[in-house]
Amino acid sequence: MLSLLGGIFLGWSLGANDASNAFGSAVSSRMVKFWTAGILASLFVVLGAILEGRAGIETLQGLTSLTLKMAVVSSVAAAVTVSLMTLLGLPVSTSQAVVGTILGIGFLNKQLNMAGLGKVVACWFGTPIGGLLIAILVYRLLAVLYNRSRIDMFESDILLRLALIVAGSYAAYTLGANNVANVTAVFVGAGQLSVFSASVLGGLSIALGILTFSRGVMETVGKKLVRLDPFSALVVVLAEGLTVHFYTWIGVPVSTSQAVIGAVLGVGIVKGINTVSRRTLTNILIGWMLTPAIASFVAVALYFIANLRFIIEP
Amino acid sequence: MLTFLFKKERQLETLIYHYIENLGLIQKHFSKAMNICLKEGASDDFSFCMDQAHKFESRADDYRDEINELMYSRALIPESREDIMALLERVDEIPRSFEQILNMIRTQKIAFPEFLVLDIHELLRISMESCDMMAKQIDVLIKKKEGIRALMSTIDQNESHCDHIERRIITKLFDSDLEPFLKLQLKEMVIVMGEISDQAERVSKMVNIMTMKRRV
Repeated sequence: MLSLLGGIFLGWSLGANDASNAFGSAVSSRMVKFWTAGILASLFVVLGAILEGRAGIETLQGLTSLTLKMAVVSSVAAAVTVSLMTLLGLPVSTSQAVVGTILGIGFLNKQLNMAGLGKVVACWFGTPIGGLLIAILVYRLLAVLYNRSRIDMFESDILLRLALIVAGSYAAYTLGANNVANVTAVFVGAGQLSVFSASVLGGLSIALGILTFSRGVMETVGKKLVRLDPFSALVVVLAEGLTVHFYTWIGVPVSTSQAVIGAVLGVGIVKGINTVSRRTLTNILIGWMLTPAIASFVAVALYFIANLRFIIEP
Repeated sequence: MLTFLFKKERQLETLIYHYIENLGLIQKHFSKAMNICLKEGASDDFSFCMDQAHKFESRADDYRDEINELMYSRALIPESREDIMALLERVDEIPRSFEQILNMIRTQKIAFPEFLVLDIHELLRISMESCDMMAKQIDVLIKKKEGIRALMSTIDQNESHCDHIERRIITKLFDSDLEPFLKLQLKEMVIVMGEISDQAERVSKMVNIMTMKRRV
């Protein structure tokens, strides 16, 4: 159980940070109470992890073969990287951090599934682009329906609020389905957990993060989305959910934050406005490139430290 | 549709319609009071209508308080909340002008000279027409129907017309042999009367912006 703590911590921080991508806009604008959002997000994260988490777990465990010690080092290294990048104020993807640590350990192992890695990296490029394209499509489609609808102002407000709750729940479902692999896949690879128990444990640890520590992030980070009008915020959450769900079917864990940024850019293109500043984009790009590199380095360093006793023993 | 799910929103809608209906009642009593005043001066009938207008004005304040209270308890999405609060605040300027005019007549004992009566009738008629159209525009906004721009354009024309009448009245006033004090007193009153159509136009423009904001 102790060896799983690194994974649980990673799941907790993922829940605390990434739930805002699903419900941040609704909570920070006070359209939905935090506890309603938190409970819904937790339920759907666990549901997503159990029902559709398998594919991602199988992809990540297939990247390299790990011993239990390597799995522990990998999850701790990923957690350290995420914390470090957060402290530096750089946007960080847990998926990239986890793949980076597996990569680092894989190098030490000299066992790396290059085809699997190629697929994962290709999906990293595809996430923001997918978010952008889906957001454009969803915006145009929903806008036609919305503008043609004969519902009055109050009904459209009611529908918008309901839609934000449904879209947020869906995005939470895809977060669980897609990102549970980041939390516990290494333990499946190390033979410590079955796929099902990894899904349950991963889902629960993400839910724990949502319920205990996501409030502040939802109320502050979510405001970035609320600068958009509620309709655009709905499109962003929906596009993010659809993008992440698409990669869940492929079986590759991706960053929900990067999908959101892509979607926000997409909405900006449709509306002809700048939704993301150049500075934010630069930071994202830096974080995007640095995360896997730092995670690999941290994993190698931690693995080296964990094995020091073999050197000093007579 | 969806009434069972969001009770607060439905309550709010009802209250807004009550507020608008009430605005119509204030307007009705104001018009009556002004017609009496222009015909026979500040008589008892005038006082009765003025009191009625005041009663409905107080009721409008109650409706507004209730609406604000409901909105603070998270009815509607934040953008709509802000818009409706700002809209009602602007609309509220109109009954305030009505009350101000009636109060001026009663407290300053204003009597309208004969040569101004027709123009003042005309100014009030067009201003009341603008207020009716403004209320209709708010209904169109809530019901998400067509026709906001057409109403806005008519209200805009009315406002120009009122400005023209206002200038004409003031010119006539200062061309007359009335005492300077009376001239200034009446001028002040005419300016407040002119403010009604100005305010209706401001509300109308705001409604138009709200519609454009809601179009995606």
